[in-house]
Amino acid sequence: MLSRVADSLYWMSRYIERAEHTARLIAVKLDSMVEQTPEDAAASWARVIQALTGEKVPALHTDAFAITKRLAFDRSNESSMITSLALARDNARQVREALSNEVWENLNRLYLRLVPVTMDSIWVHTPARLFREALEEMHALEGVTYSTLSHGEGWYFLELGRHIERVQQLGRLLDIHFSAAQDGNAVPKYFDWLVLLKFCTAFEPYTKQYTASIRPQKIAEFLLFDSEFPHSICFSVDRMTEALARVAPGAPPARRAAVERLAGRLKAAVDFGQVDELMSGGVAAFIADITKQCEQIHKALYSSYITYGAETVL
Amino acid sequence: MQHEVFANTEDFGGPDIVAGPGRVSRPGVDVPYASYELGKPYDEMFARDGKVRLPYASVDTRISTLPLEELTRRQQACEQSFLHQGITFTVYNDNKATERIIPTDLLPRIVTAKEWDRIERGLTQRVHALNLFLRDIYTDGRVLKDGVLPRRMIYGSKHYRREMRGLPVPHGAYVNICGSDLIRNEAGDFVVLEDNLRVPSGVSYMLANRDVARRAFPGVFRAMGVRPIEHYPLELLATLRSLTPFHEDVSIAILTPGVFNSAYFEHAFLARQMGVELVEGRDLLVNDNVVYTRTTSGLKRIDVIYRRIDDDFIDPLIFRPDSSLGVPGLFNAYRAGNVTIANALGTGVADDKAVYAYVPRLIRYYLAEEPILENVETFLCREEKSLQHVLANLDKLVVKAVGESGGYGMLVGPHASQAERDEFAEKVKADPENYIAQPTIQLSTAPTFTGNGIEPRHVDLRPFILHGAETKLVPGALTRVALKRGSLVVNSSQGGGSKDTWVLSQ
Repeated sequence: MLSRVADSLYWMSRYIERAEHTARLIAVKLDSMVEQTPEDAAASWARVIQALTGEKVPALHTDAFAITKRLAFDRSNESSMITSLALARDNARQVREALSNEVWENLNRLYLRLVPVTMDSIWVHTPARLFREALEEMHALEGVTYSTLSHGEGWYFLELGRHIERVQQLGRLLDIHFSAAQDGNAVPKYFDWLVLLKFCTAFEPYTKQYTASIRPQKIAEFLLFDSEFPHSICFSVDRMTEALARVAPGAPPARRAAVERLAGRLKAAVDFGQVDELMSGGVAAFIADITKQCEQIHKALYSSYITYGAETVL
Repeated sequence: MQHEVFANTEDFGGPDIVAGPGRVSRPGVDVPYASYELGKPYDEMFARDGKVRLPYASVDTRISTLPLEELTRRQQACEQSFLHQGITFTVYNDNKATERIIPTDLLPRIVTAKEWDRIERGLTQRVHALNLFLRDIYTDGRVLKDGVLPRRMIYGSKHYRREMRGLPVPHGAYVNICGSDLIRNEAGDFVVLEDNLRVPSGVSYMLANRDVARRAFPGVFRAMGVRPIEHYPLELLATLRSLTPFHEDVSIAILTPGVFNSAYFEHAFLARQMGVELVEGRDLLVNDNVVYTRTTSGLKRIDVIYRRIDDDFIDPLIFRPDSSLGVPGLFNAYRAGNVTIANALGTGVADDKAVYAYVPRLIRYYLAEEPILENVETFLCREEKSLQHVLANLDKLVVKAVGESGGYGMLVGPHASQAERDEFAEKVKADPENYIAQPTIQLSTAPTFTGNGIEPRHVDLRPFILHGAETKLVPGALTRVALKRGSLVVNSSQGGGSKDTWVLSQ
C-alpha cells in the first residue's frame, strides 16, 4: 500500500471517530441537560467543552445554543463535528481508489446533508435528534466499511486511526471526570457518572456487568479494562495491537520491531493494570501514560512505514 | 421518522415502459418541445420538416409522455447521483469554496451503427497516421524533407520535445490514449474539429453519464440495443499492459497532479476501475534510473505510468524546474527504457491547431489512403493569402491560437463586438503563425433538458481511441453540450456539460 494512501486512510478514520465522539457527547448532553439544575448542567457542559476542545471555561458561561453551535458547526473550530467530517472527507477523496464506492458515498452524503443544517433549524424542536441521526449515519458508515472493504492493509490503517483516536478521546473524558477534585473543578455527581457512561455508549453494557449500581471505581474498571466492550481503553488497545501486526507486511524486520515493541509495552500496561491501585488518585497518571504511549506509537508508525527516508531502504 | 435532511434524493423511479405509437410531437408547438426552435444547424432529433428522426422515435415517445415534473425529478436524481459520487469541481468565490457538479443532461444523444462505423474507421486511420507522423518527426523527419509541412512549424513548436529525438517507443505508439473532437456539420456529416493527443480527459464522464442515463430510461435503453461501453477500463488496462516488454506482474500506476486537479475524479475512477495504483509525484522516486513508489512495506518498482500531467511538469530536471507535481529523474528512467510513459512525451506537437490543418495530407502521405473523416475547413494565418482572407472576414470566422486548448485564446467572430474583433486582429497581425481560422462551425444541436422544457443545445462528440499493440475504440463517446442557449462553447471550463451517447448496434 502506498505510504500516502495509508496516511490518508489513517487520518480519515481518526476524523470520523472524532466526529462521532463529538456528535455523541452533544446528543447525550442535549438530552440529559433537561434533568439537571442549571448549575449542574453548566458544570457538565464545561466538562464536555474541555473533553472536546481541551479548553477550560468558567461553568457560568454556558449557553447550550452557543456551545452546540461551536462544537458542532463552527468551521473555525478545528475539532468541531463539521470540521472533522470535512477533513475526513478530504482525506477520503484523496484515496478514492482505496475505498469502496459505498464507503465514499456514505461519507460524502453524510457530509453534504450536514452542510446546509443551521442551528436555528435544529433548535426549534428536539435539537438532539439531528445528532442522533448523524450518529446513526456514522454507525452505518462503519458497518458499510466493515462489509464492503477488504480487510487488508488499508482496513487495518482505518482500525489504527479509529482506535488511537478513541483511546485519546476516552482518556481525556475519563481524566476530566476522575481528576476533577484535584483540579478544583465541580466534582461529578451521581447523575454525571451516569452521563459519562452514556457519553461512551456504555450505560447498558455496564449495568449488564455491574448492575445498575453506579460507582466511579466500577466505571473506571469497565471503561479502562473491559476487554469486550468496544469503547474501553483495553478493547481499543487490543485492536491497535492486532492492526499493527497486520500492516506493512513486507517491511524489514528492524522497522517493524520499532513499532511492535511499543505496541507490546502498551498492551502489557493495560493488560496488567489494576483498578484498585489506580483509585487512590492514580487514574490521571495512568491515562497520561497510556496517551503518551499512543503518541509514541503514532510517531513510530509514521517513521517506520510512511515518512521513512528512501535512502534507508535502497 | 427521519429528519428531512436525511431523505433519499437519489430515487430514479421505476422502470419505464415505452408507450405505444400514435402521438406526434412537433418542435415549437407541443409540450415538452414548446420552446424547441429549429435553426440552421443540423438537429440530432428533428429533421428540417420537424419530424422526429427515426433513431430518436423511442426516446421521443418516452419523454413526451412523461409529465414535465417527472422529467425534472429524474434530472435532479441524475444530479444528486453525480453529487454523491463526488463528480464535482470546486469554484472559488469570495474566499469561499463551492462544489459544483459537472453538469449532466439526462437525455441521451444517439449515434447510429452506420455513423459509428465511419467514425471508428476514420479515427483509427487518423490515429495511425498521427503516430506515424510523430515517429517520423522524432526520428528521420522524412515528412519534413519531402516538404509536406514546413520545418519551422515542427521544430519551432513549443510542444516539440528535442529530448524525444531518436528515442524508441513500444510499437511506435506515441499516442496511446487519444480523444478527438468531432462535430456534425449542417449536412449531417461528422467532421474532425481537433485531436487531443496529450492528456485527453472526459472518459469517466462518458461512463458516469451512461450510469445515470440507463437508470433514468431503463426501458428505452434496453429496447434500443445500445452498445455497451463499460469495458473501457479493461481495454485501457490491456493497452497499457501492451506497452511493456514484461508480461508477468506488470506494475502500472496513474500519475495524477492531485486532488485539486479538475479531472481528479477521473484519475481516481480509472485507478479504481483498473485496479492500479493512483500516485502523485511525491509518491514516486527514481533511483539508478528505475522508478519506485513508496509503500508502507518499502519501495515498489513501477513499469508503466499513465500520466495525467502535462509534459512540462513531469520531470523538473528536464522540463520546468519549478514543477512540484513531477518526479525528478523520471525522464532519464524513461530514456533508459526502465519505465513506459503513456502518452509518450512530445505528442502535443501533433495536436497543434496548425498541424491539424495538415492531417488529411498526412493520412495520404503515410497511409496512401483518402481520409475517411474530413477536417473542418481551416485557414492558416501563416500563409499570406489566408491571413488577408481571415482579417477581411473576422466577423464570420472563429480564430484560434494554435497552442491553446480548453476554449482559451479564441475569438468567435460573429458573437464578438467590433472592439473585440479589432483587438484580436492586432494580435493576429503581430504573430500570424500563431493563429488559424475556421468558418463559424454550426455544431449540431441535440435535445437538452432545460428549465424551460426541452430545447436544442449545441453538442460535439469526443470518442476515445486506445492505441498500443492494437487500436481500439469503445463504442461510445463523451457528448459535450453548450448549456447556454445559442452558445457554441462546450468546454466544461466554460459552462459546458455533457450527456450520454448511445451508439446503436444496428
